[in-house]
Amino acid sequence: MKRIIHIFVCTLGFIICLPSFAQISTQISPERLLNADQEPENWLLYGGDYDSQRHTDLDEITRENADELELKWVWQNRARDGAEQKFEATPLVVDGILYTVGAPNNVVAIDAITGRLFWIYNYVPSLEARLCCGRVNRGLAIHGNSLFMGTIDGKLVKLDSRSGDPEWIIDIAPPEFGYALTLAPLIIDNKVIVGPAGGEYGIRGFIAAYDVDSGEELWRFNTVPGPGEPGFESWEDPEQEAWKIGGGSIWQTGSYDAELNLTYWGVGNPGPDWNGDSRPGDNLYTESVVALNPDTGEIAWHYQFTPHDEMDYDATQAAVLADMVWQGEERKVMLWANRNGVFYVLDRATGEFLLGEPFVSVNWLSGFDDNGRPIRALYPTEEGTFIMPNNQGATNWFAPSYSPVTELMYVPSWLDTFSVYTKRPVVYTPGQQYVGAFPTMALPALGVNAVNQRLPEEGLGAIQAINPQNGEIVWRHMMSNVTDSGVLSTASNLVFAGGREGHFYALDAETGEELWRASLGGQIASGPMSYAIDGKQYVAISAGAGLFVFGLRD
Amino acid sequence: MQKYLRLVLRCIPCSLLFALCSLSFAQEHSYAPSDIENGRGLYQANCLGCHGNDGDLVEGANLSTGRFRRASADEDLIRLIREGIPNTLMIPKTNLSYGDTRAIVAFLRALPTGGAFVADNREVVIGDAARGEALFFSNQTQCSVCHGVNGGGNLLSPDLGNIGATRTSASLEDAIIDPLSEVRRGQRFYRVTDLEGNTVNGLLLNQDTHSVQLLREGERLAAFLKEELESHGFIPSPMPSYLDVLSPDEVSDLVAFMISLQQEQP
Repeated sequence: MKRIIHIFVCTLGFIICLPSFAQISTQISPERLLNADQEPENWLLYGGDYDSQRHTDLDEITRENADELELKWVWQNRARDGAEQKFEATPLVVDGILYTVGAPNNVVAIDAITGRLFWIYNYVPSLEARLCCGRVNRGLAIHGNSLFMGTIDGKLVKLDSRSGDPEWIIDIAPPEFGYALTLAPLIIDNKVIVGPAGGEYGIRGFIAAYDVDSGEELWRFNTVPGPGEPGFESWEDPEQEAWKIGGGSIWQTGSYDAELNLTYWGVGNPGPDWNGDSRPGDNLYTESVVALNPDTGEIAWHYQFTPHDEMDYDATQAAVLADMVWQGEERKVMLWANRNGVFYVLDRATGEFLLGEPFVSVNWLSGFDDNGRPIRALYPTEEGTFIMPNNQGATNWFAPSYSPVTELMYVPSWLDTFSVYTKRPVVYTPGQQYVGAFPTMALPALGVNAVNQRLPEEGLGAIQAINPQNGEIVWRHMMSNVTDSGVLSTASNLVFAGGREGHFYALDAETGEELWRASLGGQIASGPMSYAIDGKQYVAISAGAGLFVFGLRD
Repeated sequence: MQKYLRLVLRCIPCSLLFALCSLSFAQEHSYAPSDIENGRGLYQANCLGCHGNDGDLVEGANLSTGRFRRASADEDLIRLIREGIPNTLMIPKTNLSYGDTRAIVAFLRALPTGGAFVADNREVVIGDAARGEALFFSNQTQCSVCHGVNGGGNLLSPDLGNIGATRTSASLEDAIIDPLSEVRRGQRFYRVTDLEGNTVNGLLLNQDTHSVQLLREGERLAAFLKEELESHGFIPSPMPSYLDVLSPDEVSDLVAFMISLQQEQP
């Protein structure tokens, strides 16, 4: 009898425990991702939530107490060949656990209060990995109890978020031809979506969805269309060879509008970068945003920011989604500060061009036609052409922020830069860079110098607040060096951002006034994010090889 | 402050060179101007994106000094370029032939001439090096008050002990008669003025949004917070023009002496 009672009690206990076990075993459901904005204590997606606004509803840190911020903990990435690389990842935080990736592919789970390590997974990339612009990684995606990471040697890794053990590793694209994954994957339903970098190596880019359980490829959208695919007509070389090595990298994680059931992705440059003679035509869908059905990968619409680009103006920026009254009309818009120096507002349901205004000095276009197509003013020449902005552009992959409180877009900007673009012959060799002549650069492209002896006219950086209604600059926080830092805005009207100098700032979101700063001793090349535990707000930012976490003084 | 100004005035006679651009040095390594010119294009196509116009954008791998941490002989450089450096952004350039890589090395050897993308092959009259040496150390020019030759001079002015290996004769002539035409990074002077009106000039070592670091009077390091300054900014180099001081023959003698200075410093 006692035995029966014991079994009964145990069974009852097991049944009672089931719901919580079930909850733990499916830590992040697709529904939680869809409603990520309703749990601001967590940071569940690369861009904060699917709209990529990088805005938090947390408001413990305010304009009044920002000067009480203090360092809580630091994690240093000590992965072999990682410390010298940029630390570009935006962490995820799930119920008190912080997950991030140090360069090149060093995944960690950390207690988000103390900074102590739970586990580390150090993926060693193949020697075949080749990257134009750093052995870096920008972050993870989470689904259930699994983390997903792209690797610089073209693989997708699924890890158990509790142990760090790999569940599977699948080949996405061959690294020996320049394909690499540096972006944070995007989860939609039970699909993990990625695309490769490699536009400097003559890849043919794509966006592809994989089953989160099996890793099976579910669909693929070619960012450089082939024969029979829409957009192929924009590759006009008579030999019909250019598209095979036409570029179209995916450097940046996409956004998602569940109501429209569209996912939005920016596409990188056509190849070769700086001599387009071999690829006449607009070269779709390079330098475009594409709106895809996440169930099928079919394209709904596209907008090309820089047709037939020869300046490497990658459309690698985050597609920031916002619902607002735009010029008197309720609209679902997309805000896009592009590397080409123009701030765009598009209707994200249709792709309609609504606004295009330069946010730095620009001379490559003279305006837009009635359809929103840029009117090109300058091209690279054999003699060299002076073009603004420079090759690294007015902004790049580092993520901007939109605050629905101030209704302003905050954009990390390189001001008034230029390059001389010189056209030279280019030959494609598999696995080798396929670019043309590098344009002149007065600034380090990737930013590793701790010494700045440049003249102001050689380039300055700023965080700029832009009014989406008209593209006007509302305020500008100047820096004496350019920036690769993303931006975070908060419900309490703060903006967090940094720069190459290693200063990390809290600014007044309405005025740009500096309220607090910390000197972190290394280049900031990632996006700040925020989370909360037990009601206490934290702000995290990586600089150099370290991840720094701040909170208010206890 | 007065003391500092006096010192600067005394040094003014010649904070020589390190301006300017051009290429084509090549005497030491026997590269033809055509090799250097070819290398210039190849550098632009393959290297400039990271290393920059003047080869000085990668920390720890400043190509503009004529010295290379991982290689000294030209063959070592060729191998390094073709094989790359593992686990760094210095990727193998296996697309380059041996001849192409050699041309890049020719260009790199010429790169210290500065402004590498402005070719300056102008013919310059080369005078008598012995007379130039006498001029260099004379009271007439006072070059040696500021510039050392493998020692001597002051820290605010570049030592010229290896200047002949890193400059063309044309760029040397330009630096003597028109030294402000272009001043390179690392040779720029800066002035700060505090809220009381005190002014300090110095060689700019570094700056950021909030501070500036100088090598100032008395060869002392000094840092300033910009928020505590009334004004700050670049000023012209104190290196004077000798256009009206020296005759054309004397300039060519001085150039000849400079070209003879090709000794690697330790």
